[in-house]
Amino acid sequence: MKIFSRFTPLLVMGMLAITIALSGCGKDALQKAVKDAFIKGDTTETTYQAICDIITGNPEKYSAYVDADGNINTDALDEMINEVGQSLRPPMTWNTKNYGQRALSLSIYFERSGSMVPYDQASGAGQLKKAVNDLINFFPGGENASINIVNDNIYPYSGTVESFLQDRDIYASTKGIGDASYTDFKVIFDKIFQAQKPGNVAVLITDLIYSPKNTAGVSVSKIFNEENSLATSIFTKYKGKSIIVNQLRGDYDGMYYPYNGNSFHYKGLRPFYAIIIADASTIDRMVKDTRFTNFLNLQGTVNTYRFNQAHTTLDYKLVPVWKNNAGRFRESRDQKGLITNCEPDRETGIIAFSVAVNFGGLQKDEAFLSNPSNFTIQSQNGFTMKVEKIMPTDITGNTKTYLDGMTHVITFTGKMNTAKEEINVNLRNDFPAWIAQSTSDDDSSASTAGFANTTFGLERFLRGIYDAFSASQANYTSMTIKLEK
Amino acid sequence: MDKKGIYLITGIVVTVLFWIFRVEVYEGLYQAPGYSDAMYNTGIYGIVGIISAAMAWGAAAIFYYAINSVRFARWWHWLSILAIVSILAPIVCYCVNSSIFNSENYSYAAEMVSFEGVNMIFTAVLYVVASYSIRWWSSNCRHTPFPQ
Repeated sequence: MKIFSRFTPLLVMGMLAITIALSGCGKDALQKAVKDAFIKGDTTETTYQAICDIITGNPEKYSAYVDADGNINTDALDEMINEVGQSLRPPMTWNTKNYGQRALSLSIYFERSGSMVPYDQASGAGQLKKAVNDLINFFPGGENASINIVNDNIYPYSGTVESFLQDRDIYASTKGIGDASYTDFKVIFDKIFQAQKPGNVAVLITDLIYSPKNTAGVSVSKIFNEENSLATSIFTKYKGKSIIVNQLRGDYDGMYYPYNGNSFHYKGLRPFYAIIIADASTIDRMVKDTRFTNFLNLQGTVNTYRFNQAHTTLDYKLVPVWKNNAGRFRESRDQKGLITNCEPDRETGIIAFSVAVNFGGLQKDEAFLSNPSNFTIQSQNGFTMKVEKIMPTDITGNTKTYLDGMTHVITFTGKMNTAKEEINVNLRNDFPAWIAQSTSDDDSSASTAGFANTTFGLERFLRGIYDAFSASQANYTSMTIKLEK
Repeated sequence: MDKKGIYLITGIVVTVLFWIFRVEVYEGLYQAPGYSDAMYNTGIYGIVGIISAAMAWGAAAIFYYAINSVRFARWWHWLSILAIVSILAPIVCYCVNSSIFNSENYSYAAEMVSFEGVNMIFTAVLYVVASYSIRWWSSNCRHTPFPQ
């Protein structure tokens, strides 16, 4: 039987063309929108909302992403989005978990001890009040904040948030609340922790000077040890909490009460602290949510450190086209962090490759992140690293896929003297040097060196907190890259 | 099934396999940092594969069934069509590639030219495959480029 007529080849060719064309054009609008967002580097909440609109515009077609109540099934959508991201080169992720979550609440604890009053005198620039106002104003929903006065205990502020913000002399209007002659950190921190509900963010505004009752005749060393143990004992009980200590400086004009009891008048700058306390997961959530950027990066902050910052997985992508790259190499499609076909530059014999990383979640300043001494690098062939902040001019059409959502580029440079190489990089979570530089053992006189920049006994108190969490904070983050010739 | 049918089915299978494994096939001959990822992410390998396959099969069909002339049935006539389609298909693919890359603000002009050089080879191969698949039913050219 003659199966193939003269027109059969043309018919088959036509069917072949249609089949191939259909299989190539079969992607639906939802997946295309997700893919476009990744490729264009537009993984924002606005784009996410547009993707949700595609689903709500055709709920029957996209029933897999709609729950029984007709709302978006965010888990299913998140899964699909990240499946699409993982299918791209390089594999990409999009954290959509924070979108549409329950709002966080804010509680302000405003220390009103005797040594705090001079921070808000009419003659000064009012940095302390400005910092508190900023914290309230930059917190989404800050208009509903709970405000409390703190000294020997915690007392609710009788006014409204609005009246607090507008109050030009907050210490005058809160005069007579509690006992301003001493500050009991044990009571204060315990009460803050106990009162804190899920999703609450507490901020304690304080000079962090430990001044308990009945210290006459007690040596400085003894009181420091007491302070250190106190901090450890309080914070050990709250392992799930995270604390950000922001150091600021404000104009001080008034009586200063040193440890030896001989008070004196001081006019000049003095450090004060905005201590943010919340569940570690709540702070992680705020870090990823740009609405909290100004709140977390408080204007006027001189130094900052987050206690109990768990080790996080570093989000990174190899950048194949980067100014510092040298030699030739290829990223493995099958194994993350594996670079194959490594060939050094013919002239120099050096291979240099760059990795875009996202340090955004670490809440570290640029000086810290750009300093290679804060990293530990282990490499058989002695590879070195250089960290650069990604500038807007670095993001071009060719690099946007690799730099989207990333903050820095790390360039590794070295010679491949062996067939294989494994580079391990850790960003160490050391006790910060600025704390030791900001502490003093003697506050008896304003003429003491560094009086304007130091706080009595600061290091011992903060070291106590650090020790309480030390087991969980050896490194902020780490990364392993393998090379093969 | 006779020999002609086997040739046709083999040609179709080869073309479909070429399209299915288009990424591996193209990247086997040409990879460039950044450019290859952009080609993959934007799905251009698939588009280029379809265009090249369709033009190669289309050119063969035109030669064997539309032209189908005894005066245009020598091996160099067949070769001239191969040359034309091997140049034309990469030009069309370059325009499509360039258009999509421009809309995404990619800038890989040199890489696109190099890639289309590779695509020229694949288009020529697909034209040969298509020719051996469909020439058997041509009334005047079934002996081109080689006698049956």
